[in-house]
Amino acid sequence: MSLFGTTSGFGTSGTSMFGSTSTDNHNPMKDIEVTSSPDDSIGCLSFSPPTLPGNFLIAGSWANDVRCWEVQDSGQTIPKAQQMHTGPVLDVCWSDDGSKVFTASCDKTAKMWDLNSNQAIQIAQHDAPVKTIHWIKAPNYSCVMTGSWDKTLKFWDTRSSNPMMVLQLPERCYCADVIYPMAVVATAERGLIVYQLENQPSEFRRIESPLKHQHRCVAIFKDKQNKPTGFALGSIEGRVAIHYINPPNPAKDNFTFKCHRSNGTNTSAPQDIYALIVRV
Amino acid sequence: MTICQFFLQGRCRFGDRCWNEHPGAGGAGGGRQQQPSGSNRRGWNTTSQRYSSVIQPSSFSKSTPWGGSRDQEKPSFSSFDSGASTSRNRGFGVSQNPFASPSPDGQKDEKKLLEGIIKDMEIWESSGQWMFSVYSPMKKKPNISGFTDISPEELRLEYHNFLTSNNLQSYLNSLQQLINQWRNRINELKSLNTSANIALLSDVKDGINQPAPAFGFGSTNAVTFGSPGFPVNNSSSANAQNFSFKPSSAPSGSPPVFGNTPAFGAASSASSAITTSVPAFGFGKPAITSAASFSFKSPAATGFGSPGFSGFPTSMAAGSFGAPGAPAFGSGTSVAGFGSLGSHSHTAFSKSSSNTFGNSSISTSLPVSNGSTTTDNKLFTPKDQLTAEELEQFQSKKFTLGKIPLKPPPTELLNI
Repeated sequence: MSLFGTTSGFGTSGTSMFGSTSTDNHNPMKDIEVTSSPDDSIGCLSFSPPTLPGNFLIAGSWANDVRCWEVQDSGQTIPKAQQMHTGPVLDVCWSDDGSKVFTASCDKTAKMWDLNSNQAIQIAQHDAPVKTIHWIKAPNYSCVMTGSWDKTLKFWDTRSSNPMMVLQLPERCYCADVIYPMAVVATAERGLIVYQLENQPSEFRRIESPLKHQHRCVAIFKDKQNKPTGFALGSIEGRVAIHYINPPNPAKDNFTFKCHRSNGTNTSAPQDIYALIVRV
Repeated sequence: MTICQFFLQGRCRFGDRCWNEHPGAGGAGGGRQQQPSGSNRRGWNTTSQRYSSVIQPSSFSKSTPWGGSRDQEKPSFSSFDSGASTSRNRGFGVSQNPFASPSPDGQKDEKKLLEGIIKDMEIWESSGQWMFSVYSPMKKKPNISGFTDISPEELRLEYHNFLTSNNLQSYLNSLQQLINQWRNRINELKSLNTSANIALLSDVKDGINQPAPAFGFGSTNAVTFGSPGFPVNNSSSANAQNFSFKPSSAPSGSPPVFGNTPAFGAASSASSAITTSVPAFGFGKPAITSAASFSFKSPAATGFGSPGFSGFPTSMAAGSFGAPGAPAFGSGTSVAGFGSLGSHSHTAFSKSSSNTFGNSSISTSLPVSNGSTTTDNKLFTPKDQLTAEELEQFQSKKFTLGKIPLKPPPTELLNI
């Protein structure tokens, strides 16, 4: 990203790309822009799982809506559908079979959107904006996990309006990731908790944060046997910590590195980085 | 620090233990732990020197017990990315004469810690990174008081809420105040003199907390904050709800609402303002020498792990560090719901505790405990201040899940 830090018009801020006067720097990487994109910033994105034929992209925005596009191999995007919340949408995720999309919003609720029928129903309720939402598919149960700024982590069976389980967090939930049977939640005040999801979700370990600043995003990675073995945690200072849960050599295996910094230090490592780290 | 001539020739006998500077070696070793930044050498070389009792160590082997402990304990100054040479100089600016009788480990480490903090503050300020974040000088240490954690989404949500209520100006004002507070705090930290810093580091944080109330969005500010009804509720109560939390433990009438937020690191304790329920941090170290507290710090400061255990560090402090206190808590009743509360984090502490410290059955986990834990800087509570249930808990052999007291035990019941 040599763009940032150059002395072009939008150099230092790093995020704004309001084109400068001379050249159109709006899309320097020639990425494919989605047609009919939301009117406000996009808070979260998710591609459909491989079980679904075709590729669909879901994006939640600060304009209170969630939109779905079909993405073709050529890169063409076709807007398909849209649902509304009453508050900005902070997180989205797909169910494992790709038929439903779960959306979490600042209106303190989470909804399940059935794509076939294009109906969305509320499945979760919190006392504060819901920041993260994940679908958990275990051999003996399936549920939706929602993390909120009300310092709780709730697990919902979509058919019932009462949570299956409520776990307390030390602080507001800032980010989470789930790869069965492991879940990691990073909270405010540098909190970090790992949960194990077998049988029923329970707290596995609280970890002292390897980072010095606010946690921004987290993603679990797997080992060669395709089992989740650790996670990557990003903070707002552009530093990522790689942490193994049970490493053979903790001092050596866990480390941190800096990234996404241009001349000065840069801002948060956005979640998209993690999508790459984990899903590739 | 003199450069080791033998090392330059590739034949230094002492390796890591050498008291002279090995340029590049520390970086290579440090790279193991953190890729780009290579400034760990400071921490490693100096402390490993301290472990050796002879002037020049005679053993040649590189794999040493020091190596092991080094890995676990040494701070990782991972933020020293700019100018390794300059940072090295700064670190060694502290008198590093290894031949002089070494001062306690803790002191040198603390000096480095301070340097680290100053450097971090400078980077933080100049880099344009997100300012509303907590900060801790080293990983696995508690947060430094005076910083609140606000995520970008929360701030933006506030903005949206204000937008709809047409009250943008007050939002901007509050924001400006927050920014000023942050700047002040950064400047404070940058210019702290040593004694204040030691106090800061030893987790007592009493000295630091005095500015904190003012910092903490004090009374007058409370009005501005309160009225626009920041985050969750829009009421304009003068009790100015927290910046971002439901003020569950809203200190009655005490102005600095925000004092609650740095709950974690803030080690509020003494400060009148910050009556959070997390006295745990600031807690229980008043009598402790800095060196000792340094090693003590990590277990006690398991951040969010143990705020509820306010009694915890203190009872530890009563005895010697580490083991004795552990059994009091480590009643190994494993838990169903909450799993082992940081058995990982408590290892240094309770050498004996196999796993569970798992009494995290503070089901309402943590900090938000109730007003009953008023900021208590004392190590022990007098018997009369304990409720009957708490007393019973202290007296029984093991704690019962769900009833673990949040106050420190009374002196009378301790067997030291």
